[in-house]
Amino acid sequence: MGKLNLGQGSGGRLTSELIGKFKAQFDDVNIQRDLEDCTMISPEWAITIDGFTVSPMDFPGGNIGKLAICGGTNDLAVRGIEPKFVTLSVIAEEGLDEEELLRYGRSAASVCHELEVKLAAGDTKVVPRGTVDGLFLTVASMGQPLGKPLGMDRIKPGDRLAVTTSIGRHGATIGSIRFDLDVTGLSSDCAPLWPLVKPLAPLPGVRAMRDCTRGGLGTTLCEWAEGTGLGIEIDESSIPIDEGVSSVCDILGFDPLHLACEGCALIAYSPDDEDRIIEILRAHPSGIQATSIGTVVERHPSMVGMRTKAGGMRVVDMPVGELLPRIC
Amino acid sequence: MSSDRAKLLSSALRRLADRPTTIMEVCGTHTVSIFRQGLRSLFPENLKLISGPGCPVCVTSQGEIDGAIELATRKNVVMATYGDMMRVPGSNGTLGELRGSGSDVRVVLSAMETLRMAEEMPHKEIVFLAVGFETTAPATAALLIEARKKNLDNLSALCLHKRVPPALRALSETDGNRVDGFLLPGHVAVILGHEPFKFIPERYGIACTIAGFEADEIMLALVDLLEQIGKNRPSLTSRYDKAVRPEGNVKAVDLMNRVFNTSTSTWRGIGPIDESGMSIKEEYSLWDGSRKFDVAVRNMPEPKGCRCGEILSGTITPKECPLFGTGCTPITPVGPCMVSSEGTCSAWYRYGRKGDLKWES
Repeated sequence: MGKLNLGQGSGGRLTSELIGKFKAQFDDVNIQRDLEDCTMISPEWAITIDGFTVSPMDFPGGNIGKLAICGGTNDLAVRGIEPKFVTLSVIAEEGLDEEELLRYGRSAASVCHELEVKLAAGDTKVVPRGTVDGLFLTVASMGQPLGKPLGMDRIKPGDRLAVTTSIGRHGATIGSIRFDLDVTGLSSDCAPLWPLVKPLAPLPGVRAMRDCTRGGLGTTLCEWAEGTGLGIEIDESSIPIDEGVSSVCDILGFDPLHLACEGCALIAYSPDDEDRIIEILRAHPSGIQATSIGTVVERHPSMVGMRTKAGGMRVVDMPVGELLPRIC
Repeated sequence: MSSDRAKLLSSALRRLADRPTTIMEVCGTHTVSIFRQGLRSLFPENLKLISGPGCPVCVTSQGEIDGAIELATRKNVVMATYGDMMRVPGSNGTLGELRGSGSDVRVVLSAMETLRMAEEMPHKEIVFLAVGFETTAPATAALLIEARKKNLDNLSALCLHKRVPPALRALSETDGNRVDGFLLPGHVAVILGHEPFKFIPERYGIACTIAGFEADEIMLALVDLLEQIGKNRPSLTSRYDKAVRPEGNVKAVDLMNRVFNTSTSTWRGIGPIDESGMSIKEEYSLWDGSRKFDVAVRNMPEPKGCRCGEILSGTITPKECPLFGTGCTPITPVGPCMVSSEGTCSAWYRYGRKGDLKWES
């Protein structure tokens, strides 16, 4: 075991291995066994927690405050849980502009207002310069299920898969800023998912949902394939990818399947409900690009295959390590 | 490329591949593109593609990486390089690990970014770790010309650039070379044009086609190669005319000629190749990091069991290396072919480790 590296925080295979090792320390007291985004702590209540650090803290489409509440509550929303309460921990670096901090607070509060979520507790600390990168926000969220909680244990062969919007916009936006690429029209998809997916939560044909955050759609698909032992097949030409995201990927050598999303859910559902589900999603402004992208299958268990635009077939695997731009 | 066109080109390849044929995709970007676009599933069984020495990170020798890592640990040095270099293992760690231990190592997208860094940090020594082939070397040359013009004395380049045609000559002369054709690197040909590759079919009788990176460009280039091989008329053709002019990019070549001399360079796993390196000319010696900091590039042995050299020369495929996927993974890479995003082993690991899939629906 060596020193931690950034690759272990990138959301791919290394992250899942690190989480597995850390979680093992809690074997006797851990009640979260199913690797879902949130845990039912009683039949009525679910809970989850998430930490947020992003550089830059302001980006097209949002900022760290908006991101924290969206990200924290989205982990509830994708299990069909209505977010009710959040708690917020603030760790700010000495030297951060006070008005800047309050502005992020206003953005976070605005999302709470939109979701009718209450702030139940909070904590604020200022630490010496150099010990954090500007600002760390940690959000614990609690909510109540509208129906039976969704989860990957409900996924069956033959189920269809859809994404609620175009993929990779958050990762491409942050990447374009870090590498100083001026991409017209590119902005993060950062958004609360609950208003979009609430009408789906009670439908019996909806099996599971996930928000495709670090590691992107590709990692989420692999987690489902490996977690269920089923195969997954997707069609590259049906996956919505904005032009700006494609441009960033072309320049930096990234795969859009592995770029983070912050307002995009992957949904598994019965094929009988496909038309209704896509129609419901597209009726909401955050879901107008919703589209079906593939199917759950019995063949090639635990693997994700993609029919490429070129007519070939290839395996989709989790990314390994930090995404770094290529040389040429 | 539409599915119909893919089927058409696939059937053309099937028709032309009437005997076992081995094509080397010289360029790492081709390797990744072929995997990523699922083209392997469209190739006939008779057609075997092997990867060549066209990943700039992979061919950088262990001694060169050790020299760079040693330099990055020196006080006051800010080392800037392209992203792929961060995880390449030297004898004692990687540049990425150095960053974790407090050394100032930064990823840049272009050589010119280091000019701004040098201006903004006058009390630091900015060293650009210059790797890559003829594709990235003109940018390094332009950087040094600009640094000299501005008299920036805190900027230098550790030049590890390599030239592709001499490597292809060395491969063609290798005993037991089993390559029937080269899928030539489009990016390098954009700079060099056609002329520097003509010796391959003329002197060694090996078919050559310059290829772009889209699926249909690669498939069409393979059709070209199989036609040349079938008719036993090796020549040099191009399927990347939208980007490659026969005369190349004269301005870029001029930049390289102004700043670099050709020199012998050691390629990982392959060894020293005459005229395959680029060394900084005397008039730019003040901006030559290896002279300025007296960097020693030693001949270091490859890590035990690492067969990157055989993979880079197309002698074996990654799956034939006993370390592949066991002792050597992207998490614990032994050799650079597993590290670079364009590395052969990395591509096989990412796209082929779990096996091949057939589309059945």
